[in-house]
Amino acid sequence: MLYGYNGRALVVNLTRRTSRWQKLDDDVLRRFIGGTGLGAYLLYEHCPPGVEPLSPDNPLIFVTSPLVGSRLTTSSKFAVLTKSPLTGFIGDSLSSSFMATELKKAGCDALIITGRSERPCLLSIDDGEVEFLDGSALMGLSTSETERAVKQRLGHRRRVACIGPAGENLVRFASITNDGGRQAARTGPGAVMGSKNLKAIAVKGTQSVPVYDNDALNEMGTDLTRRSLGPATEKYRTLGTMANVSVFNSLGTLPTRNFQQSTFDGADGVSAERFHETNFVKNAHCANCTIGCEKILVTSDNGKKSKGRMEYESAFALGPLVGVADGNAVIRASTLCDELGMDTISVGATIAWAMECFERGMLTLEDTGGIDLRFGSGEELVECIRLIAAREGVGDLLAEGSLRASWIVGQGSEDWAMQVKGLEMPGYEPRSLKTMALGLAVSTRGACHNRSSAYEADFSARVNRLEVDEERGRITAEGEDFSAVLDSLIWCKFLRKAFDDLYGESAEIYRRITGWDMTASELRLAGERINNLKKAFNVREGWAREHDTLPQRVFDETLPTGVVAGVGLSREDLDMMVDGYYRARGWSEDGTIPDGKMWALGLVDVVQSEKIDFMPVLGD
Amino acid sequence: MVARTVRVSVELFGTARLACGRRLVEVELPVNSSGAMLTVALANACPQLVGVALREDLGGLLESYTLNLNGVEFVGSGEMVLDDGDLLLLFSSQAGG
Repeated sequence: MLYGYNGRALVVNLTRRTSRWQKLDDDVLRRFIGGTGLGAYLLYEHCPPGVEPLSPDNPLIFVTSPLVGSRLTTSSKFAVLTKSPLTGFIGDSLSSSFMATELKKAGCDALIITGRSERPCLLSIDDGEVEFLDGSALMGLSTSETERAVKQRLGHRRRVACIGPAGENLVRFASITNDGGRQAARTGPGAVMGSKNLKAIAVKGTQSVPVYDNDALNEMGTDLTRRSLGPATEKYRTLGTMANVSVFNSLGTLPTRNFQQSTFDGADGVSAERFHETNFVKNAHCANCTIGCEKILVTSDNGKKSKGRMEYESAFALGPLVGVADGNAVIRASTLCDELGMDTISVGATIAWAMECFERGMLTLEDTGGIDLRFGSGEELVECIRLIAAREGVGDLLAEGSLRASWIVGQGSEDWAMQVKGLEMPGYEPRSLKTMALGLAVSTRGACHNRSSAYEADFSARVNRLEVDEERGRITAEGEDFSAVLDSLIWCKFLRKAFDDLYGESAEIYRRITGWDMTASELRLAGERINNLKKAFNVREGWAREHDTLPQRVFDETLPTGVVAGVGLSREDLDMMVDGYYRARGWSEDGTIPDGKMWALGLVDVVQSEKIDFMPVLGD
Repeated sequence: MVARTVRVSVELFGTARLACGRRLVEVELPVNSSGAMLTVALANACPQLVGVALREDLGGLLESYTLNLNGVEFVGSGEMVLDDGDLLLLFSSQAGG
């Protein structure tokens, strides 16, 4: 008997309007766990090498985890994997709440969608039964309108994942939205969903997945819940991630005006402390979460009322990064991104790039359709967001993301397209966070703060954040493996400090859920295996060492303000850290994975033999 | 012999600022100070911080808070060498998000 998993994935082909079950072997589940790990495995299998990301053959994969359905705190999460239309490499995003539990109750550990529907499609999954419904009436609706319309049509017990107009229009950083505004946004999975003519997925399930030792699991779960309400999550429960704004500003790590500065004179206006005083409505929770990190804000001025979630990354990207100090404008911009279905980080960073182009005279009023696209204007920001989602006017250029847009505009503007591998940078200034600089450069999904959490070392006494050394490679690799385990089980990152020993405690929980042996060291190895598989996918898709870098601006300009004035990062220093990272990973100097490493991690049966010569090198 | 003292500012962030109702707190401390000494001085200046950012026994910061000296150096609960006019930043130890 199988515990903790369904042991199968539902494979749907939108072109042929067919579905089938794919068995997931026990060995695969144990080695890749779930979430981004199992997703990477399935992506490698189902994604044809070299596929165009917006073509029908690129799979869109939703993956649950062994923790989903356990009712453990923060366990209701799922991963979305695809070949990213923004980067051309692995795209993996996480989202939360009832969609995760519903997919699992519908009988799926994973849902794999391929092909392209001829007409707009609403995909219905009812306890594993698939129907291809006409989604034409949903086209053009915002994400919240779509969810409401689907529930009205199919019943309120349905859980809905959908795209907004941005996904329909193939904006390369479009998100997939579920359960009232939660987003799988980074790397643009919404564009892939749009390319499949798939507007929404509605899921209902009634099956339960048995747990091996429920009493023992409940005991651990109660203790974990208690810890989730303690000091380890205090920030998230009170002011939320937005608390970063004022702290990062004081530390000179708050990217401002397209990374031209790292302090923002208007930071107070978009700080958590200010939002809490003037805009805070309530906290919100994902399903089965005791932390409640979500902060619902509402505008407080006389303009059009807007209410929605606010996170640090949205506040940074639609505030300091574009020079906007008006908190109400930031709330409007962020809520609009959620409604239109776009990644707020990529939206803000791409507009920030365009603002700099405008101020340098490389984009004119004629190019922008009359929008005075200077840093600091909240109204122009909101208008620009509308244009991007609709791909109208200058929005059509910006919908391509900052890197592609810079190739079109040229004139050296690639130097200030603040992205890595095509993915726009999050709100961590790499010049004043040197470990994070490495984490951003080497991450398989591009400039990502979540897949390594390398900033944690920088914000501690463990390292000097303003200096570099080879040790950062080991720190970053360990952080990536730790994160891969979190993202595969899947735990919420905000719970991580509640564990005394993530690997040991998680292994015990895994044993109690599945009944399978699992040790802390096996789990740690799984994290390493998953990161190597992601890297192998990227190598297959054309990765080369030159992709593990940072935008030219980082090397050319020192930071001009605050306590970090004069601090920079040389290309040589970054290369030294990248070398250290490859060594820590056991990779070759060119950053590729040696055959012996693939062998040691048990990846030889996953990575197709024609891509890599698998003869193990003894002693390697 | 009386230890030389210095006046330093502590900038509060997040719930510490909200609890205290102000952004900056000035305290007088010995040049060579420990986290516990700072805790006592802060509790005297702003009692609302006890239980929010400071341990009830005034033995140091709660584990959910951390200290940074002049925006550059992260300092633990060990000894700090302070100068007149130094700025200590008191904020959440939970990085990221």
